[in-house]
Amino acid sequence: MFAREMVKQSLPLLLLCGIGAILTGHVFSSMSVLFQPESSSFIPGLIVVIPAIIAMRGNVSTAMGSRLGSAYHLGIINESNMWNQELKQNILGSLSLSFLMSFIIGLLAFGTSSLLGVQPHFVELILIVLLAGTFSGIVLSLLTVGIVYMVFKRGYDPDNITGPALATFGDIITILSILGSALLVGGLV
Amino acid sequence: MIYRWTTILRASLPILTIGVGIEMFAGHLLQSGQNTLLLFPIFFITIPVINSVAGNIGSILGARLASGLHVGTIEVDFKDATLRENLMTAVFLGILTYFILAIGIYFMVSFLGVDVGIGPMEFVFIMVGSGAILICVIALASVLTALWTFKKGLDPDDMVAPVVTILGDTLGIAFLFVFIGVVLL
Repeated sequence: MFAREMVKQSLPLLLLCGIGAILTGHVFSSMSVLFQPESSSFIPGLIVVIPAIIAMRGNVSTAMGSRLGSAYHLGIINESNMWNQELKQNILGSLSLSFLMSFIIGLLAFGTSSLLGVQPHFVELILIVLLAGTFSGIVLSLLTVGIVYMVFKRGYDPDNITGPALATFGDIITILSILGSALLVGGLV
Repeated sequence: MIYRWTTILRASLPILTIGVGIEMFAGHLLQSGQNTLLLFPIFFITIPVINSVAGNIGSILGARLASGLHVGTIEVDFKDATLRENLMTAVFLGILTYFILAIGIYFMVSFLGVDVGIGPMEFVFIMVGSGAILICVIALASVLTALWTFKKGLDPDDMVAPVVTILGDTLGIAFLFVFIGVVLL
C-alpha cells in the first residue's frame, strides 16, 4: 500500500508534535492570569489574538515547507543546491507576510473586541502582536531551512515531515513569543 | 525562477486575512468559554493538541496531494484511487493519534498531581470523539481545497495549509465545547 509509508513516517512525528502541543497548552494555561479582568496584569484582547497569531505563524511556515517540498519533487532544490534564489525568495515572502499579517491581526482584534465591549489598549495590543509575529517569523524561517536540509540529507519525503515539525515548533516558539512580548510591552505601556 | 516573494505575498495575503478574521471567532469563543476551561484546566492543554493534530494531518495530506498533482501521479478526480487511499489513511492516522495522545495527556496530568475533575473514560471519549469528527471534516476539506485550487491554476501548497488550520482551530474548539457540554455539564 502506497499510503502505508505515510503512517510509518508521520505517526512518530505526529506524536512528538502532540507532546509539543501539550507543552504549548501548559504555557497557554499558565498565561490565564493575563486573561482575567480582575487580575492586575490583565491585558484586554490578548486571549482573542492567540489563536490567530498561532494559526498565521503555522500557516506561513507550513506553506513555505510545503512549497519547498514541491520544489524538491520538481528538482529545483536539493541538499547540495539549497541556498539559491528560489529559497531566498521563499524566505523573503514568508517574512514580509508575517509582518503584514501581524499588523492585520492586531487591527482585527482591536476592532472586534471594541465591538464586543472589551476595550483593548490600541498601541499595547498592536505592539505585542507585531513583536510576537515578527520575532517568531525570523526564528521559524531559519528553522524551516534547517529542517528541510536535514530531511533532504536523510532521504525522506519532505511532504510527510516538514508540515507537522514546523507546526509544532511553531506553536511553542509562537506562544513563548506572545508571552514574552506581552510581559515586555505590558511592563512598558 | 519559479518562486518570487511578491507572488507568494499576493497569493497568500487574501486567504490569510480571511483566515485570521475567522480565527478571531475562535479567539472570542475561547474568551467566552474561559470559565468552563478554568473549571476543567486539563482542556486548556487539550485545545492546542486537538487543533494542531488536525492541522498537521490536513497539511500532510494537502502537501502529498499537491506534490502528486504537480508531478502528475494524482488526477483531478474525486474517484482517483491514490487520492482516496491518502484520504482514508489520513482519517485513520488522525483517530489513532488522538487516542494515543488522550491516554498520554490523562496519565501525565494525573501524574503531575493536578486535580483532573473527570474520569479517564470520559476524558478519552471527549477528546477522541471531538477529534474523530474534526479529522473527517478536515481531511475532506483538504482534498476538496487541493483539487479545486489545482483546477483553478493556483498552487495548492499556498492554499491547503491555511484552510485546514483555520477550520481545525475554530471547529476544534467548537466541537470540544459541544462534547464537554454534553458529557460533563
